[in-house]
Amino acid sequence: MPIIHKFDYLKPKSLSEALTVLAQSKNAAILAGGTDLVDMIKENVAQPDLVVDIKGLDELNQIKFENDTLFIGAGATFSDLIESKIIKEKYPVIFEVAKTVASVGIRNRATVVGNICSAVPCMDSGPLLIAYDATVQLAGQKGERKIPAAEWFIAPRKTALQKGEIVTGVSLPYPKVKHAGCWVKLGRYTGEDLAQVNLLILALSDGTFRISFGAVVPIPVRAKKIEKLLNGQTITPSLIEKAKQLIEEEIKPITDVRATKEYRIHMAKVMFERGLDAAIRRLNGNGQAYGTSMI
Amino acid sequence: MEENKYIGKSTVRIDGKAKVSGAAEFIDDLDFGPDLLYAAIVESKFAHAIINKIDTSEAENIPGVVKIVTGKDFPFRFGLYMHDRFIFAQDRVRFVGEQIGAVIARDAATALKAAKLVRVDYTELPAILNVEQALAKDANLIHPELRHYKHVPWFFPKSDTNIAHLRKVRKGDVEKAFKESDFIFEDTYTVPRYAHCAIEVHGAVGLYDNSDRLTVWTASQSPYTQRNLFAEALAPLGLSHKDIRVITPFIGGGFGGKAGVSMEILGAALATAVKGRPVKVLWSRAQEFYNTYQRQGLTARIKVGLKKDGTIIAMDNILNWDAGAYVEYGANVVNAAGLSASGPYNIPNVSIDSVCVYTNLPPGGPYRGFGYSEFLFGLESHLNEIAKKMKIDPIQLRRKNAIREGDILNYGGKMNANGLIEAIDKVEKEIEWGKKETSSDPNKAIGKGIALFWKAPAMPPNASSSAFLKFNEDGSINILISGMEIGQGLLTVMAQIAAEVLTVPPEKIRVETPDTDRNPYEWQTVGSHVTWGCGRAVESAAIDAREQIFDIVERALGKDRKSLYLENESVKSKTDNNFSLKLCDFIIAGIQKPDGSYRGGPILGRGMFMPEFTSALSDPETSQGGHPNVHYTVGASAVKIEVDKQTGKVKIPKVVLAVDVGKALNPDLINGQITGGLLQGIATVLYEDMRFNNKGKLINPNFTDYKIPTSMDIPDEIVPIIIEVPQPDGPSGARGVGEHTMIPCAPMIANAVDDALGIRIKSMPITAEKIALSVKHS
Repeated sequence: MPIIHKFDYLKPKSLSEALTVLAQSKNAAILAGGTDLVDMIKENVAQPDLVVDIKGLDELNQIKFENDTLFIGAGATFSDLIESKIIKEKYPVIFEVAKTVASVGIRNRATVVGNICSAVPCMDSGPLLIAYDATVQLAGQKGERKIPAAEWFIAPRKTALQKGEIVTGVSLPYPKVKHAGCWVKLGRYTGEDLAQVNLLILALSDGTFRISFGAVVPIPVRAKKIEKLLNGQTITPSLIEKAKQLIEEEIKPITDVRATKEYRIHMAKVMFERGLDAAIRRLNGNGQAYGTSMI
Repeated sequence: MEENKYIGKSTVRIDGKAKVSGAAEFIDDLDFGPDLLYAAIVESKFAHAIINKIDTSEAENIPGVVKIVTGKDFPFRFGLYMHDRFIFAQDRVRFVGEQIGAVIARDAATALKAAKLVRVDYTELPAILNVEQALAKDANLIHPELRHYKHVPWFFPKSDTNIAHLRKVRKGDVEKAFKESDFIFEDTYTVPRYAHCAIEVHGAVGLYDNSDRLTVWTASQSPYTQRNLFAEALAPLGLSHKDIRVITPFIGGGFGGKAGVSMEILGAALATAVKGRPVKVLWSRAQEFYNTYQRQGLTARIKVGLKKDGTIIAMDNILNWDAGAYVEYGANVVNAAGLSASGPYNIPNVSIDSVCVYTNLPPGGPYRGFGYSEFLFGLESHLNEIAKKMKIDPIQLRRKNAIREGDILNYGGKMNANGLIEAIDKVEKEIEWGKKETSSDPNKAIGKGIALFWKAPAMPPNASSSAFLKFNEDGSINILISGMEIGQGLLTVMAQIAAEVLTVPPEKIRVETPDTDRNPYEWQTVGSHVTWGCGRAVESAAIDAREQIFDIVERALGKDRKSLYLENESVKSKTDNNFSLKLCDFIIAGIQKPDGSYRGGPILGRGMFMPEFTSALSDPETSQGGHPNVHYTVGASAVKIEVDKQTGKVKIPKVVLAVDVGKALNPDLINGQITGGLLQGIATVLYEDMRFNNKGKLINPNFTDYKIPTSMDIPDEIVPIIIEVPQPDGPSGARGVGEHTMIPCAPMIANAVDDALGIRIKSMPITAEKIALSVKHS
């Protein structure tokens, strides 16, 4: 399908050059993987006057672990995450998330940062970042900004990004205690799909939990009521039942072409129960390998 | 019987190297040079509306636009079996996305941009979006002119209704038989629409050159039918068949969607508007969904009467088909399914009404299975329900009633030789029927399901095939046919057939895709008939060549032709062990006589096949009297599923399919058909799900929300079982097999779900959501 919309294309050699052209342009779009942007231009949903390609900026292409914090640069693709040694060792649940994103071809181009900039409700990166209390790092001509992931998402397809800014990456602080996680994503078949429900659970060795939902909410949310109920408690079947009762208060699913509201609520409960069990087992060293689907 | 040397062997595909190396060209690979123009389509926004005015002025001013055409430029009606469609909408649009006009421009982006600027003024009409609305007493007519439409003699349209065709079957005395039945079971099953989802989209490039010759390159299963329909539709412009040439390169999947003529008419028509320059129309994925053909929706009411012992004595089926806005092809799906909707069973008293209903949804048409998948979902589900209620084993019920050779078919003919019972027995054993299995996971249940299937090719009684076979100097062969390679391996099998007759190995035979100027006639590559029909034509061409060879040897060397035979690419004699003449020594050059003159010349075999025993003439009230079907291919399939009671997700540890192919000309290719067919069929039951909004617009014309299987969705184990009860009129005893491998999937899965969970789902698809919510509510 041809692209009707006309735009200029620029591939800056440095971040400052990118920021300069961005400041000068009226309606620039930033291109990293392009898996969302190019489709949106094709469908005339996005009509940028300038496309700024940041793939050449080496400083944005890294994944590094420093000061107990993981930095995922804006150019890092989901395939990069899957292949990263640091991630497999320290944040295996990120590997688990990345493995469920789209298909190999898309993962070779699509980025975490692009995913949270598009900020569609079914994105896979959102629940992950808010569960890890991640920070979104931005650069602009006026300097750098850091925004907690929970404040980054404002509404579907709407973020705290301001004109002239580039997201340079996201930082995920390593929890202070040992932890394990589980990512559960609902699709309509085994092949790649956009989530109808997704859920990330972190179980920490101090007896606390971090639970976040996506796809069943306009923007990803931490299930604060459930976390409060579970934190510090012995996890018993009756406590799990109580937690499941709270799920409907935490999420706001809709009926659309992919699933009904009823099935999403039903599955959120099933996925929560299985994900919680898997995360605890992994914490205790007797869980299934990361990458194993719980549904 | 003599051992075959090439038939029955898994010869490696002769087009394999071209495909894996990228040498194979598809329509979008062809280079038409810098003069190539591109067309974009102006499409209807409404499912049903009157077109008041089309304003192209703004679009015409876009630089790069060459020409804009609309319905008034082509006021012609055409169609395959019924002339009910138009090149562009005339005064009325009948589905969302219907073509109203086209913008031809120097590049694709300009064409698309300008097409969006064409203003269409409509008066919206009430849209009829389902069969119930269409059949209601005061329903608006979608085709008020129906009574004037030309159609084949075996269609029976009902004027002043939305019924485009009614196929009635009446065999025996159904009323009396129901009275004599000990049990009667009645239920209704529904099947939604489906899309073929060939990986390659439809495309056509037309060139009407300055010598008044029209060449159209198409992605098609049907080059000759296309040429015929182009000639018919464009006859008012002075074109005749000889002036029209259709060239069909390799295609990336068809599944029936590239049969007949759908969007390709645009390539032909638009070319006449820009004489001297080629013009290309390439569908987007969305257009591929909403403006080609879709598999038709079906509501099937099935009523079965049985004796206490499980003998079925009566069946009364009403099949209401949502056939869409134009039914020029789809009405024949309704027809074919109607003739066979009692399934592979010997039932003495049958009543079937198969009703082709116009709706304001996209045109229905052929899709692998041609209506059989749809009615088998209901029929084979219903038989399991009956078995359950009568406390009979579902396989026993089927075996008891299975059709056998010589049994009387619904139209009065006799059933062909077949291995249905063998298929049932083998499938039963392989799936370990009766062995109850439980999962170690308490959330999961294991179930098994079975379904039988049958299908006949649906084609006009005079559908024919032909072939040319040309020898080359080195003894290699080029075969010219117009049967289409659509992934099934036709080219390879045709080479094997010729190889067997002429003793020339398949690797020395090249078979190319069609060009109607060069390759002889083939009706269409549809209906699982082409290996059978085109195979007979190739066999006959090879025999013709062989006889020419013997003739030359006899004339030049005085050998008794009765003693001659071919072996290892040479002519040999049964009476003279020392005689051996290599084919390459004379099949072009001829044989030299002692006086220096030659006898012979290039060997050129010619073959043709038409099933002269068929007839579509029958009593319209009963369907008795004709012989519409050439043969039925039958089989059985069974599956073991593991279903998660909480999520509703179905996993398939094992599936087995046995099909009576008559003779497996190439077993690997048949195993490929079985694997592919099962995968396609299982997808239609588990997750493919076409959704329209309340305005008749398809809301998931994309792979984001219309899911087709990936490599991750293949069952863990697939067991193909080939049964060979020869088809006497087939090449080496072969009969059709292409479609049959997908059609038992839906009821087989439905039956397995019921076996696992005790839940009967009567509407497709049987998604995880539907299963989980059924469990929750049960």
